[in-house]
Amino acid sequence: MLEIKQLEFAYAAEAAPTMHFNLSVAAGEILSLIGPSGSGKSTLLNLVAGFLAPSAGQILLDGIAIETSGVASRPVSIVFQQDNLFPHLDLYTNVALGVDPSLRLSREQADAVAVALDQLGLSDLRRRKPGELSGGQRQRVALARVLVRKRRILLLDEAFAALGPALRAELIEVVKKLVRDNNMAALLVSHQPRDALLASARTAFICAGKITALEQTGDLLDHSQLAEVRDYLGAV
Amino acid sequence: MARLNARAITAGLVLAILALIVLAPMAGLLNLSGIPGYEPGDLRFWESGYIRRVLFFSLWQALLSMLCSVLPAILVARAFASQADFPLRGLLLRLFALPLVVPAVVAVMGVVSVYGSGGWLPLGRSLYGLNGILLAHVFFNLPLAVRLLLPQWQTIPPHHWQLGEQLGMNAWQRWRFLEWPALREALPGVMLLVFMLCLTSFAVVLTLGGGPKSTTLEVAIYQSLRFDFDPARAVVLALLQLSICTLVAILTLRLQRLPEVEITLVSPSKPIVVRQNLLNTLLILAAGVFVAMPLLSMLIDALGGPLWQVIGTTRLWRSLVTTLFIGLFAALFSVAAGWFLLQYSASLSLAGKTSKAHLVDLAGSIVYVVPPLVIGSGLFVLLSPHFDVFAWVYPIVIAINAVMGLPFVIRSLGPALRQNHARYHYLCQSLALQGWNRFRYLEWPLLRRPLGLAAALVAALAMGDLGVIALFGTPHSATLPLLIYQQLGAYMIPHATVTALLLLLLSLTVFWGLERAIGGKTDA
Repeated sequence: MLEIKQLEFAYAAEAAPTMHFNLSVAAGEILSLIGPSGSGKSTLLNLVAGFLAPSAGQILLDGIAIETSGVASRPVSIVFQQDNLFPHLDLYTNVALGVDPSLRLSREQADAVAVALDQLGLSDLRRRKPGELSGGQRQRVALARVLVRKRRILLLDEAFAALGPALRAELIEVVKKLVRDNNMAALLVSHQPRDALLASARTAFICAGKITALEQTGDLLDHSQLAEVRDYLGAV
Repeated sequence: MARLNARAITAGLVLAILALIVLAPMAGLLNLSGIPGYEPGDLRFWESGYIRRVLFFSLWQALLSMLCSVLPAILVARAFASQADFPLRGLLLRLFALPLVVPAVVAVMGVVSVYGSGGWLPLGRSLYGLNGILLAHVFFNLPLAVRLLLPQWQTIPPHHWQLGEQLGMNAWQRWRFLEWPALREALPGVMLLVFMLCLTSFAVVLTLGGGPKSTTLEVAIYQSLRFDFDPARAVVLALLQLSICTLVAILTLRLQRLPEVEITLVSPSKPIVVRQNLLNTLLILAAGVFVAMPLLSMLIDALGGPLWQVIGTTRLWRSLVTTLFIGLFAALFSVAAGWFLLQYSASLSLAGKTSKAHLVDLAGSIVYVVPPLVIGSGLFVLLSPHFDVFAWVYPIVIAINAVMGLPFVIRSLGPALRQNHARYHYLCQSLALQGWNRFRYLEWPLLRRPLGLAAALVAALAMGDLGVIALFGTPHSATLPLLIYQQLGAYMIPHATVTALLLLLLSLTVFWGLERAIGGKTDA
């Protein structure tokens, strides 16, 4: 289980914290994060990934604190909206980098890369460069790398924002299976309430650096009494 | 349509003048039969030991200069990329822009001041020859290469740095997967550009070359025309130089990966931080010292030299006025010609005729492959039998320098002008905003900054020119660079140092003055 306890973040070292987070995500669960631009959704992901350092609080995975671990040693994989792949490397190499950046793979590791590509339906494209793929295929490659990295926390930062509705729905199904099969705890940031509905049983609404609502996704989207949630959804 | 036609006529006129200035000398060179003393066998350059030696040395020094400039520049640019918060970063990057406007002969004086006998790091007599040429070429081209390569680090998406960190890449793996792929896009273009600049370098080789052993094609052309009175040999050398430059230009064009970076004294924006360490700091400081030292040493020498004696001569002031006159008029003609060409190419572009537009731009820049000395020697060969070319020194020098500045105008002004045209042309049409009003209300406010930069660049280049003025100049019509060369020839090194300082101050003042006067205040 991923737990975020009293996590605070301040943009300047000596300034008062502007963001406070408390939440937990069960193994095998995808928790969606929605909210206006600049509310702190991506900041929360960057804190969990280690790209930003919190000013206080804890990030726990199965009770073990990880907030002081280096970025590379954290049990975290992240998928961005774009630039997930290195354009000069073929798909196989892009995925293999997730196993070992020196690319000195054992037979088992090489097989794992091949299996991951196969599971994501990319076997035939393994020697293609990212520029030769569609947006959906590129995100599949990023997910194949998540698969081979075998990290327990998955962060999806607007990962499907550049895709059409049908493709988004298809990839969300892929992610759900990935999370379920590998017992991961996932946080999904999206501007599309429909993504949250498709991906998550629970969704958190973040506003001005705080989680102001954390409810069943359907309840939050359809019946929330909070003015900021209604404003946000009305503006979508 | 009428406006497009008007633009076509103006651009056509510019291209015709350009062709006359560039192609007529070429025709003069090719039409060898008119040259007294010419034998068809003279073109068999491989049979001449002298020409073979000159050719080999030209290529060898250009290759070495390129390697000595670009390889350290990669390390320095990487160090700059990694030291986004380095306290002197902005200052040092501005310093690295200085060699772009420092006249070659001034840099030579700086190099002599540091590495000459009595300098801070004396190399003695071995300064004259390959060592001196390499030092001066690296002084010019290392900072240029750093400024051209540095933006490549900014092309690496921030997410790639984050992914690299998350995947646990070490420094070598970051270089291999993130930095090298970005760098290799630009590297061949930068290497070829530096090679070309060193191949066509004239003032440096003329002053530091140290005899027939260290002569390049450019200098050999000059010597053939001015000292040996051997136009036939000059023709062979000029054609050789032209062929090599064309070959390099074709290669560069095929690669077409020269980074689009403005040649300005403003420092580029901060890139992503890679890693900070002591080695990077030392690299930056070493490069900074290497670039600053010649200028600083020359400044100290000049201030301790016969300052008042040099300033008190009418010859200096006459040369100063001539230099200024040539610089400003070359800038005026170059910017005007570039403006008309770019207006036409932007109209063509908007009309969907992109390949034609590209051709017009290319025609304006094609002169880049023709070294000024080749044009000069062509004009010399073509005109000297008919009238006294030395009496026409000012129009000839201004015309050649204006033409040579045209690629810089197209490069500085082109992107902004095209963007402006694409964005506002239809709006202007709907408002009937054209002619003077269009210039006054739209083009001047939006394009004055690149216009100012283009004018400043051409003026600085023309004021620093030694090649064309050395060919056509007389003691009476000497510019400051020619005066410095004459003083060096007379072993008046302290006098030459003072003159070099004045030329440097004049070049910087004119550069900043034009950039500010035309471009207005910038927010950078």
